[in-house]
Amino acid sequence: MFSKLVNPKSIAVIGASHNPAKIGYVVLKNLVSHNFKGDVYPVNPKGGEILGYRVYKNVEDLPEVDLAVITLPAELTLKVFEDTAKKAKFIIPIAGGFGETGKKGKEMEKYILEKAREHNARIVGPNTVGIYIPSTGVNTALVVPERSRFPGDGDIAFITQSGALGLLTMDSVSLYNVGFSAFINLGNRVDVNENELLEYFGKDEKSKVIIMYIESFKDGKEFMKIASQVTRKKPVVVLKAGRTSRGGKAASLHTGALGGNDAVADGAFKQVGVIRAYDEVELVDYARALAYGKPIMGDRIAVVTSAGGVGVVTTDYIESKEHGIGMKMASLDEKTKRKIKDEVVPFASVENPIDMTAQASDDDYDGVLEALQSDPNVDAILVYALFQTPLISEKLVDIITKWHRKGSKPLIVGSIGSNFTMKMAAKFEENKVPVYMSIERAVKAIKVLRIRGKYIERWENE
Amino acid sequence: MNEYEAKLMLKKYGVKVPNGYVAKTKDDLKNMNLKYPLVAKVLSDKILHKSDVGGVLLHIKTLEEAQEAFEKINGKFSTPVLFEEMVNGNVETIIGVIKDPTFGHAIMFGLGGIYTEVYRDVTFRVIPINRRDAEDMIQDIRGKKILEGYRGKKVNREAIISLLTSISKLVVENPDIEGIDLNPVLLTEDKAIVLDAKIIKS
Repeated sequence: MFSKLVNPKSIAVIGASHNPAKIGYVVLKNLVSHNFKGDVYPVNPKGGEILGYRVYKNVEDLPEVDLAVITLPAELTLKVFEDTAKKAKFIIPIAGGFGETGKKGKEMEKYILEKAREHNARIVGPNTVGIYIPSTGVNTALVVPERSRFPGDGDIAFITQSGALGLLTMDSVSLYNVGFSAFINLGNRVDVNENELLEYFGKDEKSKVIIMYIESFKDGKEFMKIASQVTRKKPVVVLKAGRTSRGGKAASLHTGALGGNDAVADGAFKQVGVIRAYDEVELVDYARALAYGKPIMGDRIAVVTSAGGVGVVTTDYIESKEHGIGMKMASLDEKTKRKIKDEVVPFASVENPIDMTAQASDDDYDGVLEALQSDPNVDAILVYALFQTPLISEKLVDIITKWHRKGSKPLIVGSIGSNFTMKMAAKFEENKVPVYMSIERAVKAIKVLRIRGKYIERWENE
Repeated sequence: MNEYEAKLMLKKYGVKVPNGYVAKTKDDLKNMNLKYPLVAKVLSDKILHKSDVGGVLLHIKTLEEAQEAFEKINGKFSTPVLFEEMVNGNVETIIGVIKDPTFGHAIMFGLGGIYTEVYRDVTFRVIPINRRDAEDMIQDIRGKKILEGYRGKKVNREAIISLLTSISKLVVENPDIEGIDLNPVLLTEDKAIVLDAKIIKS
C-alpha cells in the first residue's frame, strides 16, 4: 500500500532551489547526502542545474514519479497541485498555512484532497516535515544537517503527528545510534492517516516495533480494530498527548465528569494491547526494550551490579508501587547462590541484588550471568555495566551481548556514566541490546517488557 | 427516561434492582406490596440530583409513613413517587457509560462515594467489553483491596463482572444511549444491586 512512499524509485522536488537557505535546497541536499539511489527531478521555472541534477522548468514536463515533495509556500502549492497529482503517486506538501490557520486553510485542504482523489494520488501532510526512511535514503525533512543528526537504519517505525517533536526525538537518540526503519510525519493529516500506516508497518518485516505520537485519533474505533491485530504480531507504543474535550447531554452525569481526561484512551489501549508512553524519552526507551528484548513472563527480577548503592536504589524501584514498578526481587535458588559463591565471585554478596563490588572483572560478570540462566526463580535479569572500575573493560559489552543473544532470560542493561559510558551504550545499541543510562530508565524498561508479557499471556488464554 | 423506566430496562438485561412500586396517588399505596423499610424518591426525568432538592426520604417503616412521604414529595414536585425496599450491603461502587468523541461508548467502573469524589479511582474500557476486560477493570482500581473482602466485608466479584458485561450488552443493543449513571451500585455478599439509575438517550 505504501511501498512506493517508503521505497520510491523516483522523487520530484517541486520548488527546488539554488539557495542553501531555502527548504527547496535542503530537501534536495538531504536526498543527496543520504544516498538516495533512485531518480531525482528538481523543478524550478529558472531551470539549469542544482547539486548536479538537471532542473525541470515545470511540472508538466516531468515523467511520472512515485513521490513528489512540494517545498513551495501554501498559495503556490495550490497552483502546482493538480499538475503534480497527475504525475505522482504520493505527494508531500511541506508548507504550513493550511487547515491549522482557519477556515480558508481548510478550504485549501479540501481542494488538494479533491485533486489528489481525482488523479489517484495520496497526500502525506500538508504542514509536515514529511518522511525519513534510513534504508532507502528518502529524506524530506528540513532540519539543518550541521546542527542535528539523523539516525541510521533500524527496527523502529515512528508515526508522528508532530514533525518537530519527532525530529527532536530522533536527533536526541542519535547520540547513542538508535536506528529507525521509518519516520513519517502526518502533519495536518488530510489524507494518509495513522491507522493505515499502523496497518502497513504491522506487516512490514523490517519494523520490529511501531511507535506513535498522537494528539488526536482520526478514528478511534478503527485504531482499536487495527491495533488489536498488529499488537499480536509486534509491540505498539503510543505517546498520546492532549485531552479530549467533552460536553453534550451526558455532561450532567457523574460518569461524564470523571471521563474528562484521557481515561477512555487509557482503557482502549489496554483492551487492544497497546503500551503507553508519557514523553519522548519513554517512547524510544520502550521501543528499544520491545524491539531488542524478550517479553518478561513473571515478576521476579535478578539484579547484577558492581556498585552496591545502584543495587539498593534498583531494589527500591523494582519493589515500590509508589515510586517504582511494583514487581519483585527474585529469591535466588540455592544452587545458583552456591555456584556464584564457589565458582565465580567468593567476595560477592550472593543475595539479590548480586553485588560483585568494585573488584568485579569482565569474567566475573560472565560467570554470574551464566549461573542465573538456569535459575527457576528468575524471570528476567537487570545487569549494570559500569565501566569506571579497573577490572572492567570494553569486553564486558561483548559478554553481556552474548548472554542477551543466547541466554534464556530476558535481559536489560543499565549503564551509568559520561563520555566513555555513552560510547559503550552506542556499542550495546549497535548489538541491539537494550541499554539505559539511568536506574529509573532501566527499571521502566523491565516494566514495559513485563506489560508485553502480560498481554501475551492474556492472548494465549483467550 | 425516569429512574423507574431505567430500572425496568436494566432488569431486562438481568441487572438486579430493589423491588419497587410507583405511586401516582396516595390511594395507590394500598396496593403496594413491598417489604418495609422503604425509601421514597421523586420520580422525574428532569431532576438528576434528587437528594440535593429534598426528593428522597429514607427509613419508611409503615403504610402511614409511606402516605406521609407521598404527600411531602408529591406536594413539592407534583410527580409520581417511587417506593423501593431498602437494601443493606458491604461496598458501594459506581458504574457508568459515556459517549467518548474519539472511541464511542465507554464503560466506567469505580469505588463509590469518597473514592470516586475525592480519589477519582475509576477506570474505563471501550464498549463492547468481554469478561476479561471486566476482570482487568477490577484489577485497575487502586482501592481493589476493598473488593477483595477487606475487613470481613465480603463482596461477589462474579456479580460485578456479570453486571459490567450486561451493561456493555445493553449499550450495544441500544446505541441511542448517550450516558448512564448507576450510582451507587451496592455490593452484598452474593449480589450487585443498582440502587439508583439514570439513563440518558439522544
